Amino acid sequence: MQWLDEMIRAPKDAGYAERALARYRLGMKGHGALCGVRILPGDEHCPVCTHLAADMYQPDEAPRIPLAGCPYAEGCRCAYRPVMTYELVNGSAHVDP
Amino acid sequence: MIEILSKIPRFMAYRRFGWPKMLPINLTLSPSPRCNSRCLTCNIWMKREDELTLEEWDKVFQSLGHAPFWFTVSGGEPFMNKEIVELCQSFYRHCRPGIINIPTNSLLAHRIPQKVEGICQSCPESQVIINLSLDGVGAKHDHIRGVEGNFEKFEQNYKALMALKATYSNLTIGVHSVISRFNVDDAPELFAYAFSIKPDSYITEIAEQRIELDTVGLNITPPRDKYGWAIDQLIARIESRHFGGISKVTEAFRVEYYKLVKRILAEQTQVIGCYAGWASAQIYANGEVWPCCIRADSIKNLRDVNYDFRRVWFSPEAERIRTSIRNKECYCPLANASYTNMLMHPPTVARVGAKVAMASIPLLNSREQPEPTPVLGGQ
Repeated sequence: MQWLDEMIRAPKDAGYAERALARYRLGMKGHGALCGVRILPGDEHCPVCTHLAADMYQPDEAPRIPLAGCPYAEGCRCAYRPVMTYELVNGSAHVDP
Repeated sequence: MIEILSKIPRFMAYRRFGWPKMLPINLTLSPSPRCNSRCLTCNIWMKREDELTLEEWDKVFQSLGHAPFWFTVSGGEPFMNKEIVELCQSFYRHCRPGIINIPTNSLLAHRIPQKVEGICQSCPESQVIINLSLDGVGAKHDHIRGVEGNFEKFEQNYKALMALKATYSNLTIGVHSVISRFNVDDAPELFAYAFSIKPDSYITEIAEQRIELDTVGLNITPPRDKYGWAIDQLIARIESRHFGGISKVTEAFRVEYYKLVKRILAEQTQVIGCYAGWASAQIYANGEVWPCCIRADSIKNLRDVNYDFRRVWFSPEAERIRTSIRNKECYCPLANASYTNMLMHPPTVARVGAKVAMASIPLLNSREQPEPTPVLGGQ
């Protein structure tokens, strides 16, 4: 739903990355369907984050939000999203942003 | 119940004109996100929060008074909370709700019946509805819920809880299925099983993206055509049966809900006005008050206002979120909110009334068999 995508693109506070990645770290250990995280760009034309959107990361290796050079003065609008095993195509880590 | 009906015009005026100010009648509590399921359709179990203590919850309930009629104790898995009986006792003491609704994944089947018994004993004037999650039959259920042996636990829990009904007249046992892209093709088998075990109520809800569950962007919702195919079969099952008493009303509302979901999926807007933020609300584990679990946007934290729900509910922040909802900046088929919305929608109520009246004409219904009493509700 488009409106929900917009809601999770609200500006993030300073503790966002640690909170979110701690959650996914736990998720990776919890024997569920989580297999990594990806970045939802704050803006589909943002030069800083769009090239990161297609990749899947392990929580410890994910680029930290706010990304360096973020153009949003009020706070980075990028968000971490979970990647689930059922989203992978032929076991590939490449996900559709 | 009459008191609730009398509030409907006031809620309609509150949503339209901002007056008279009303507290919600439908309140969902999420005391903890912890869960021992690993569902394909939910990631809430990964969250950890600085959870409200029982003493803090007690102060919140005190500030609510008798306003809420319908409490849902959600989660995570509510029965992982060792103080669930005490939590129910607390809101029963302060709020005296008509309905206490608790969903469960049945994984703690050895503990749940004893806890339910405690709640039924402590809250004798409330109808206690325990909804057992069931997303497939046998191994399909285990696969979707991510825990081997879950279906067996479901059957064990269901049997034990049904046995309690002989002792507690205020206990209702329901079965609740989430229809997702993982089980929509198997829906007929699921419905047949659910009806065969004769629960007091059978409810389905569509898997949807929710901020609360961290499922935004995940492909879990079934395709519209497949959902329509599945839910039409459920509607046909319900409409082919004759229900007695209050069940006529609840089942008529349920059919209206399923039709409403189809319309929301097709039209992608609030088909009827949403009363989340006026008549329904959710309190999350850390004390945040949300209009609903789909948006999960925090109005304020109860810890910042000395646990006074009114100071959150009647704040300018709440009004800003209400404006967004009223302007249809969001839409969803969330069952819990939708049943409240339908109550506030005169055309829906009129259709339900007409259907109930028709179902009450003996000549039209003489060949059908009565069904057990189902109860309205989501989760």
